[in-house]
Parts: sequence; structure tokens; C-alpha cells
Amino acid sequence: MTYRFLPDIALADVAFEAESDTAAGLFESCAMALTDIMVDPKTLKATVDREFSLDSGDLDRLLYDFLTELIIAKDVDSLLFKEFSVKIGTGGGSLKAEAKGEPIDRERHGLRNDVKAVTMHMFGAKHEGALWRATVVLDI
Amino acid sequence: MAQISSFKQVSDVSWEIPESYKSGMRVPAKIYATRKLLEGMDAGVIEQVTNVACLPGIVRSAYAMADAHWGYGFPIGGVAAFDVEKGVISPGGIGFDINCGMRLIRTNLRFPEVKPKIKDLVDLIYRLVPAGVGVKGFVRVSDAQFDEIMKYGVKWCAENGHAWADDPAHVEEGGYIKGADPSKVSRQARSRGIDQLGTLGSGNHYLEIQVVDPARHFDTKLAKNFGIVEDDQVMVMVHCGSRGFGHQIGSDYLRVFDGAMKKYGIEVRDRELACAPFSSKEGKDYYGAMVCAANMAFTNRQIIVQKVREAFSKVFHRDAEAMDMHLIYDVCHNVAKVESHAYDGARADVLVHRKGATRSFGPGHPDIPAPYREVGQPVIIGGSMETGSYLLVGTQKAMEETFGSTAHGSGRTMSRTAAKREVRGAELQKRMMEKGIYVKAATMDGLAEEAGMAYKDISEVVETMDRAGISKKVVALRPVGNIKG
Repeated sequence: MTYRFLPDIALADVAFEAESDTAAGLFESCAMALTDIMVDPKTLKATVDREFSLDSGDLDRLLYDFLTELIIAKDVDSLLFKEFSVKIGTGGGSLKAEAKGEPIDRERHGLRNDVKAVTMHMFGAKHEGALWRATVVLDI
Repeated sequence: MAQISSFKQVSDVSWEIPESYKSGMRVPAKIYATRKLLEGMDAGVIEQVTNVACLPGIVRSAYAMADAHWGYGFPIGGVAAFDVEKGVISPGGIGFDINCGMRLIRTNLRFPEVKPKIKDLVDLIYRLVPAGVGVKGFVRVSDAQFDEIMKYGVKWCAENGHAWADDPAHVEEGGYIKGADPSKVSRQARSRGIDQLGTLGSGNHYLEIQVVDPARHFDTKLAKNFGIVEDDQVMVMVHCGSRGFGHQIGSDYLRVFDGAMKKYGIEVRDRELACAPFSSKEGKDYYGAMVCAANMAFTNRQIIVQKVREAFSKVFHRDAEAMDMHLIYDVCHNVAKVESHAYDGARADVLVHRKGATRSFGPGHPDIPAPYREVGQPVIIGGSMETGSYLLVGTQKAMEETFGSTAHGSGRTMSRTAAKREVRGAELQKRMMEKGIYVKAATMDGLAEEAGMAYKDISEVVETMDRAGISKKVVALRPVGNIKG
């Protein structure tokens, strides 16, 4: 699971680049980067399971929708996740995923930034050589 | 840095980029900035404001204000007006945080009385106004009530015990924008927003206790119109928006518009400029949903202010009414609205997008509340939490030049990561304490990211807008207590 933050892409926000040798691994890396922006993952426990099933038509939209679902879970159910298991459907437009985490605990969790939304700026997932890569800019 | 050699200097604080600058520009772009501010602007501002000038149906000019910096699609600090029949609406021209805005309330307290209690006051407000990642508010409403909030904003608050009788009149558009359509709001957006009323959020949002700066009380006569009558008078400023509700509406419609552009044969230079004709189904749907978020944001700030009044009342053992805690004004700085403007020799309705820009209506405008109508609309410009903020007033020149618009804040110059490299949150908190600003932050990382050095000099931004004549300085406000989301 690999991602790195890109400090000079968006001054007011946070950008990251993720990569993996599989599309599913790429989604897991992006999800973990999202968590890392909102909370210190070391302070999170995996006590709650949440399943996601999405059909978005293509891989780009699928990644956009998956990250948006995780942001929605943070706001609606106060859930932050630290473990992800993603299976991409045939054709790359759908997924089934399981995320493990726990409800926000302001005393125990090392909370960081609240993420508002996934933007379309530079957004995209692509297959380059042996690797899958994505760039994501999040509105803070 | 901007390449300014091809720009036409209109005055010492304004510049024009002609349509010949870039293929596809339908109108010129105009930038309000001193040479120093212009040279310091990131090149993205020029790229983006000239991209905006290419959008279908734009009228007169695309504008970048003195606080402009790179945004998604439109620059932040950007203004553009579109013909309501032939023009487009773009979520990128509004921002994800729909109706992010500023609210200023006054008190009749002076700082010497508040100073010994500032810690108690800030700590209590911090408990009453939830801030930070994924927080929920204390006000619970049903789905039906949330529909009413989407439609009637602060008017709903006044009818349901969450506002004083004169509050709605002191909010832009009288507390709610007409045209809300809750049926165009997704289930996810509704779920994200319904529990967030009365929450501050995160990022650059804050709630600040401020005092009138005696050295920068620029126009005492104008200030008196807003109930500001003394140096060291204590004020409260709130900066936040529509929270997850507006963010989700922005996300939902960015996807819709991404697809709609093909349908309407619109090509844009940046995916974040996704747009649709304002008169199309997609355009109307987004407008109906966006107005719901704008009205929710007015409500959010209203509920926060009620909590602030409650906190002052508890700490100073007096009714909030006895402390004259009236709303001076509430302005949007991320919104699109249909407004009537005179331009190119005629008057017409236009859809004015203001993204990181504030309405600045001049004296006599019928949309300004009666007590202020003769002097102009209050304009609230929020600075970084270290450097202070300003109250200005709208002008006739803004009506003539910028569709009644001006700047909104100081504008970032340093990334969040770079700011954290420069200063640690705890160190900044201590430094601010030494300057006489007591800060309570949801996270130390978040605090460091909002350090004053990460922003432009707000005084230069305000001075530029004042010299350009599109808003006029009234008073500077110095922070003494801050709650950072």
C-alpha cells in the first residue's frame, strides 16, 4: 500500500498520489491516504465492519464514488476506517469492499483535517506499465 | 508568478487582460491588485480567470479580486456574471462549501471587561459549538423540518426560536434565497447535513472574539450606523458554511455536469469548470439544490450565533439583549444568485457567481436592510486568525464595475504541508497567547496549517479594494479569542 502527499498541488487543500500493482490495491491505498488526512491511523482500532457495493460505470468514477462513500460514512455515521479490502468487478466499473474502523472518539483519536469532498482536479486512475496510479486532490 | 507584461494597467490597483490573451475568451478579465499583489499571485489565477472568460454567456468581464488564489476551475476570489438565457451555471464557480460566509455580531461590552473572562468564554463556546472532523450539532430536526430549513433558512429559525426577530433582515437576501428545491437534493447530501446544524467544521473555519482596533477605526460615522460606537468594543465573527450538506451537493452535481457538457456540446479548458446552461434541466436542478445548501448555511451560522449569545449570557450573567448582541450582518462568499444589474447600457437579470468573493451593494440598493440602506451593505472580510479582520461597506462603484462584488479574505500563499513544516501547532498557540489571542483548536495540526504566515497580508488586500473604490474601509477588528475548527 503506497501513497505520498503532494504539497504543491493545491495550497488550501491536500493532494496525494497513490500506486499499486493491482486496481484493487490502488483503491485500498487511496482509501488509506484519505484516512491519514483525517486522523492518525495508529490511534484507530478496527472494531466496526462496513461493506460497500458500488457500480459506477468506469474506474475513474468508481474511485471518485468509493472515496465519497468513505467521506459520507465519516459525516453520517462518524466512522473512520483503517483497513480496507477491495474487489473490483469485471470491466473495472464496479466494486465490493469491506472497511474496518471505529466511531470517532475525540479523546483517543489523533484527529486531523475534515475532508469536504473529492475534486476532479487532476483526478484519475490509470494503468502505467506494471502499476496502477491515481492522483487525488481533496477539498479541505 | 503572473506574467503581467501583456496586461493593460487600468489604475494603480486594477489591470485588464484583453480577449486576445487567449483563444476562446469571450470577454476580458479584470484583476484588482497592487503591482506587488499581482506579481505575487500564483500563475494559476491568471490561467483560471482567463478560462472563466471563455465560458458561454459570460457578460462584461471575468474578475479576480485582490485576495485571488488558485481554486478548482474558478479562482478563489473570482466573480463572473452570466446571461440568464444564454449563460451557464458552474459548481466550480461557487465552490464545494456552498454559502461559506461571514457573520458579525456586536456587543456593548468593552475589552477591559471581557479580558479577564476570555478563557472562560472561549472554552464555553468551544463546548457549545462543535468543531473538527465529523462533528454533529446539538439541534435535532426531522426530515420535514430540514426541508423547511432548505427553503426558508433564517426565517425558519425566527419562527422556531433559533433567532431574534430582527436577525433575518440582517442576513444577505433576508435570511433565505428564493428558489430552493429540496427534491433535487440527494439522500446522501440530506444524511450528511441533517445532524450538522450549529457546527463550525474544519479547515479555515473559525469563530473569533474580536475588538475594534482604536488605531484603525477608519470611519466612525459609518461605523455608528452598524452599532460600533467605541474603541475596544467587543465583536464576534463566525466563518463557516453548509458543512457536509453543501459539500455533497457540490460532489453530486459535479458528476452530473461532467456528463451534461457532452449533451450540450460545451467544451471547457478544465474539468473543474464543468457547467450546464442555466436554463437547462441540469442547470435548474443544481440551482434548486445549491439554494437549499445556501439556506442551510445561513441556518448553520444562525444556530451558532444563538450559542454564542447563550455563552456570553452565562459568562457575564446578563441577557444577550442587555449586551446588545445584535447581528450586524451575514454575507455569503461562495454562491451564485440571480440579481438585477445595469451593464452595457441596459439593466438585466444575470446569474452572478461569487467564489471567495463578497457582495458589496452600494448605498440606496433595495436589497440592503432599511437601517443601512443609505450607507451601503456591510462587507465582512475575514483575515487569518493571527492578523485580524475588517468591516467594510459596499459602494456605488462596485455596482458599476463588478456586479456589486469585492474580496472576501486574505488568500493563502503557503500550502498546508509547508505551514506545518514552518511552525508546530502548540508553538503557534503559545505565540498567539503571547500576542493576547487565546486559541482553542480542534487539532494542533489544523491550527498550524492556519498560521498567519500562510496567508497574504489582509491589510494590503483591504487597502487595494478601498483604493479601487469597490468597497470602503470602516473598521479593523483585532482577534483576542479564537476557536479553530
